[in-house]
Amino acid sequence: MTAAGSWERRLDAPRDVWAVFLQSRTRDPHIHVGDVHAPDAEMALVVAKENYARRDPCVSLWVVRAGEIHATTADAAEMFDPALDKSYRFGGSYRKQQQVYRSAWRLSHRDEDQ
Amino acid sequence: MAGEVAGPPDDPELLARFNPRVASGEQIEAGEWMPAEYRFEALRLIQMHANSEIMGALPEREWIPRAPTLARKMALTAKVQDEVGHAMLLYRVAETLGRSREEMFAELVEGRSRFHNVFHYPAETWADVAIIQVFVDGAAMQTQGALRSCSYAPYARVLKRICYEEDFHIQLGLDVWRALAEGTPRQRAMLQDALNRWWTPIIHFFGMPDRVSPHTEKMLAWHIKIKSNEELRQQFLRRFVPIILEYGLDVPDPGLRLVESEQRYVYTEPDWEELKRVGRNNGPKSAERLALRQAFYRQHAWVRDAVTRGAAA
Amino acid sequence: MTGPLEAIADPDVHAAFREWLLRAADDELVIGHRHSEWTGFGPDIESDVALSSIAQDEIGHARAMYAHLVADADRDTDHLAFSRPASEYRHGIFVERENAGWEWSIARLALYERYDALRLRALGASNQEPVAGLARALLREERYHALFADTWLVRMCGGSPEGHARVQAAIDAAWPDALGLFERTDADERLLTSGVLPAGDPRKSWEAAVRPLLESCGLTVPSASAREGGRRGTHTPEFERLLAQMTEVRRSDPEARW
Repeated sequence: MTAAGSWERRLDAPRDVWAVFLQSRTRDPHIHVGDVHAPDAEMALVVAKENYARRDPCVSLWVVRAGEIHATTADAAEMFDPALDKSYRFGGSYRKQQQVYRSAWRLSHRDEDQ
Repeated sequence: MAGEVAGPPDDPELLARFNPRVASGEQIEAGEWMPAEYRFEALRLIQMHANSEIMGALPEREWIPRAPTLARKMALTAKVQDEVGHAMLLYRVAETLGRSREEMFAELVEGRSRFHNVFHYPAETWADVAIIQVFVDGAAMQTQGALRSCSYAPYARVLKRICYEEDFHIQLGLDVWRALAEGTPRQRAMLQDALNRWWTPIIHFFGMPDRVSPHTEKMLAWHIKIKSNEELRQQFLRRFVPIILEYGLDVPDPGLRLVESEQRYVYTEPDWEELKRVGRNNGPKSAERLALRQAFYRQHAWVRDAVTRGAAA
Repeated sequence: MTGPLEAIADPDVHAAFREWLLRAADDELVIGHRHSEWTGFGPDIESDVALSSIAQDEIGHARAMYAHLVADADRDTDHLAFSRPASEYRHGIFVERENAGWEWSIARLALYERYDALRLRALGASNQEPVAGLARALLREERYHALFADTWLVRMCGGSPEGHARVQAAIDAAWPDALGLFERTDADERLLTSGVLPAGDPRKSWEAAVRPLLESCGLTVPSASAREGGRRGTHTPEFERLLAQMTEVRRSDPEARW
């Protein structure tokens, strides 16, 4: 156990459970839509097509044994929750400041336009 | 039996943190700590739901080979396919609570676990398909819709997909219903007869009116139970009785009537003993359907063996 | 509606093409019906769902082909699908056989899909639009059907000695009926001479497609003579039972719309 406590784990799933990831269109990421039971990867892909893509648009499927997935724990969720203002990471806060600058600049250079 | 969960007592500190979280509407993920009784009750609910989907395929699948048009043939196959697919999703959720799918399946086919009352009854005519798709799926929609707020997150997630597909089932059902209700006298008679036969099992479906008990209180606090049985039954009646009346068919219960001021239906108290019998796998079709499931399960034993051995190799 | 069948001027060749297309439509309907009977009873839930999709595909293919054979697709397709006496159906008896276990159904699927793919390619390469275009599109779905069959066949054969023995027995039992798919009538001669369909030996092409699959599973390719009759409307009691069941609801109220 690290100093951070139990923050990560392998997902607990039987060996024959495969997580299915579906890509709707070529430009989309693969999204986890659910799992299937199958003896191996090829069969998992074959059955995943009809179990998860018979209605939803799909161009590609990924499967991986669910038990191979490593995950952060519920306990670790608090680390994702920022404690202080992080707006310095977002364009929004800078755009607002730009507006303030521009109006101030225009006011002070008004006479040059004439 | 509710509450009688064997094993060591829950860690009081963890329990003290768990209860308020869940009561406030937080959801529990797979793999998180949970009280033994919570796990037991959630598993029982979800396992019964999964069982019901796979057993629910049986009454309707009898009509797939007999479907009277190519469009109906495809649509009914798709509908029953969805039910089987729901079982797949639900067994996986139950699995996250600690039981293997193989175990649960074996238990089901051996008659040692339960499935919803409605699937113990015969589907005698093509019109039964319409009744099942509109009223049985409609009834299930009430419970499933409410359970989308269930505290066990994997179950809540899967219910979103299930509810979406159930909507297709009801729309399909209304299409078949309409064709029969607006069809020949023989078709209308067949539809009314099917409605008459299915009425009591559908009213039964929601269960007896809940007794106020510590057990029920706990299930509500844990958000394993969301609405009361009677609330869900009333919800169903409000939505589906008008459909019967709209098409000029008879509500099979002559004692059913809407109390306008309360927007509540009064109905003839059904025989709850019948529900209890069916709950013990003693319904009209229980033995036959379980035997059929068991026969195929045994017939496929060599297939499971071949595939598992191959996977291990 | 206009179909490709209008484009053939010679009435004998026109009739031959209709017969040929009807064979395909009937094959798809009947095998789709057989596949649909597995709904709820497959060896595992995932495969149950997958085969159910395959069943729906096949019934859909049948419907699309029947639509090209009738004057008014909306009004007459179901009538063509449901209302003939048994002797007017042109499917091979292979597809009417009752499902005799998962290995039998998968073996049939594997053998039939290779036959169907060859047929669709021949139709797709013909100049009989729009049905040729339909055939080219259907090949996309049939590809999945063959993939599902092959994936299962390999795993049943390779997993255990019992699995291997059962699949071999299923292939042996299926072979004469499978060969019956290639039964020829006068229609085939007319279509060949008129150039509507390509020259070639479909049965040879089919065997060449099937052999690698069977050999890769360690299965012996049977030698047997064809059990024919289906293409001439001579069917088995199994089809009599199927047809009776399939038409049961329709016959209960012939005036009704469903």
